[in-house]
Amino acid sequence: MNPPPLYSDPPSPGPTGAAAAAAHSSVSQQPQPQLHTPSKTTTTTANLNDPADGRNMLAGGYSSKKRVTERYEIVGFISSGTYGRVYKARGRDGQVGEFAIKKFKPDKEGEVQYTGISQSAIREMALCTELSHPNVVHTVEIILENKCIFIVFEYAEHDLLQIIHHHTQSARYAIPARTIKSILYQLLHGLLYLHRNWVIHRDLKPANIMVTSAGEVKIGDLGLARLFYKPLHSLFTGDKVVVTIWYRAPELLLGSRHYTPAVDLWAVGCIFAELLWLRPIFKGEEAKMDNKKSVPFQRNQMQKIVEVMGMPTKERWPLLTSMPEHQHLQSLGAGNPRVLRPQGLENWYNACLQANKYPADKPGATPGADGFALLSGLLEYDPQKRLTAEQALQHDYFTKQADPPSENCFEGSRTEYPHRRVSQEDHDLRTSSISGAKRTGVAADDSLMRPSKRLKEG
Amino acid sequence: MAANYWASSQRLHWTFTKPGLAETRRQMEENEKALHKQYPLPEQRLISIFLMHQVNKLAKRMNYKQQIIATAQVYIRRFYTKVEIRRTNPFLVVTTAFYLACKTEESPQHIRVILAEGRNNWGAEIIPDQSKMGECEFTLISELNSQLIVHHPYRTLYELQQTFSLPNDEFSTAWHIINDHYLTDLPLLYPPHVIAVTAVFLAVVIRPAQNALLPHQHQHHAGNLAGALQSLTSPQSAAAIATQAGVHGPTAGAGASGSAGAAAQGRIVKVVNWLAESRIDMEAVVDATQELISLYEVWDQFNEKACKDAVLRFVQARGLDK
Repeated sequence: MNPPPLYSDPPSPGPTGAAAAAAHSSVSQQPQPQLHTPSKTTTTTANLNDPADGRNMLAGGYSSKKRVTERYEIVGFISSGTYGRVYKARGRDGQVGEFAIKKFKPDKEGEVQYTGISQSAIREMALCTELSHPNVVHTVEIILENKCIFIVFEYAEHDLLQIIHHHTQSARYAIPARTIKSILYQLLHGLLYLHRNWVIHRDLKPANIMVTSAGEVKIGDLGLARLFYKPLHSLFTGDKVVVTIWYRAPELLLGSRHYTPAVDLWAVGCIFAELLWLRPIFKGEEAKMDNKKSVPFQRNQMQKIVEVMGMPTKERWPLLTSMPEHQHLQSLGAGNPRVLRPQGLENWYNACLQANKYPADKPGATPGADGFALLSGLLEYDPQKRLTAEQALQHDYFTKQADPPSENCFEGSRTEYPHRRVSQEDHDLRTSSISGAKRTGVAADDSLMRPSKRLKEG
Repeated sequence: MAANYWASSQRLHWTFTKPGLAETRRQMEENEKALHKQYPLPEQRLISIFLMHQVNKLAKRMNYKQQIIATAQVYIRRFYTKVEIRRTNPFLVVTTAFYLACKTEESPQHIRVILAEGRNNWGAEIIPDQSKMGECEFTLISELNSQLIVHHPYRTLYELQQTFSLPNDEFSTAWHIINDHYLTDLPLLYPPHVIAVTAVFLAVVIRPAQNALLPHQHQHHAGNLAGALQSLTSPQSAAAIATQAGVHGPTAGAGASGSAGAAAQGRIVKVVNWLAESRIDMEAVVDATQELISLYEVWDQFNEKACKDAVLRFVQARGLDK
């Protein structure tokens, strides 16, 4: 029933460099393994008196103590990416409710050998077991079974990309100002929690921000997230490319080696703008990596930013000239008049509010001047001056106005958002057919439903 | 959580009481009577020293950071509270724990690199192939309940270095004491900041020039620590303790003349006062000190070859290297 989306998110950055070396990301998009795997596993009944029983770690092989299909009934398929696939599931015996199960597939289809778990999966497992906050997607459990890793999350009926789409496609009116305020407020609370715990998310974008039917906003997909407390190596060394291109902060585009949680706040600024405008504010085209060694300068993306924001200057951003790629800025205006005559964020903002008919005279019905002040504090070139999550939460936009942010982003909204689409074509998922069947994946317009699409670079 | 020890899986799921840990081990032995009888091993503390040494060996050639080594050591120690060692190939477990720790500490290495290093150390006949190592990784993560983030005392040590303006030699002594504590059960018993405080206290009080805790000096260290322990437990004033430390620490006494000695004594006073005012669990500090003393004592009986032979015996006899 969903019309084709106007746009889909560009892919999240894939693993590169050292991370890729460990991840050996030889991932093919084509064949998809089945969730259910052959039931020929060694569940040995332990014989306590016989030292040679099957409990030997190696002689008996790894056998999971928990089985996904015993604990969950798969309802259908939600989305896929390079990491694997996400399924919707219902709990069995004792497990009540709905769940989203993320399955990390083995590197090669029908892989019979263990090859080592990717850095990305390790990060997500390690962080998911520690994190606990109402605005971060809750991890129910992690199951390792038959060479696959299954992370079981609480289920969220919506995500921001899907909500934005609904307004462009079906509703054809702007997202109410109160809804946006509540979304940002909850998002920033989740982010504050992550940053206080030394976690940078590094892939914030609408598709990765979940919304439950109760209107709770939850940050999802920690596959690129990492700890930044006293790193043993610079963050750049680990992952050459982070954050999906449209949401990537200028210091990342300019090749910063030692970036900070501020990269997440730039992304929040981009998401705020997108909620207002219903389209990405900086929708650049990604320059693909031609080889794994060098990271190209993202010229088009930088242009898109400058077209609105104007050229960054040393006065506003003192460390600008120490950015490795800053010399590219000089040639940015060549053949691009809009770079030379930028619109200015304030003009962009006012034009956007007008175009989407936010009533200027009704307080609470428009994000207003406070909204602009917050947006410009988030889309601040200098990462050291950019608002932190804590500062953003104390901003007038949230504290001053007569209507404080709601804990339920749907409060007062009459918009009915469609439920997450769950593909029922995967009938054989619920059977115990063996893995390895060719599957071409889902229809081309499923991008709307992808909470975390991560394609391979190039 | 990741930065908050109090909400971490380490505190909530991987910290034992001493009787609790002993009971866990006793039960495991109870369940595995036949194996224990058939394949006797040197006492648990010696095997523990042996295993942790193996991690160091693996890491040494490639100059890995201490924090990776420490994380791997904690994984191994946690793992063997749940799995009977005689059902595993400890050399493979050590190699795999190290491979996993490289990833969680954000210094990933390709599985083949670590595998080659393992084979270099213990031979291809002991370390099976990549697939076995990948499988072992599953077992390891599963037994660790996917709780892979480990809090170490080094972070607190850096903070205390600032607080007390620790000179390099004392910092280094404290650092080595922390490294040594991974050879004991202490990482399963106390929060990392207690270990860091203990290490700093001992480093300041024993303050001998021999900051490297070399194997042949263990007995010596045990003596020094015992002296330190006495000053820690006696209810005297900070100044008296400082003087006492000068008596107990042989080299500290020698170096106590001149301004360097005065500064050192000043630091002792500062540390002792700080300890008194802080809400640090002093019983834990005392107990940690005792554990370290007993480590240095038992270390003298450590015979690497005897441990290795005993381990190899069950690995080979039971085909765990296949």
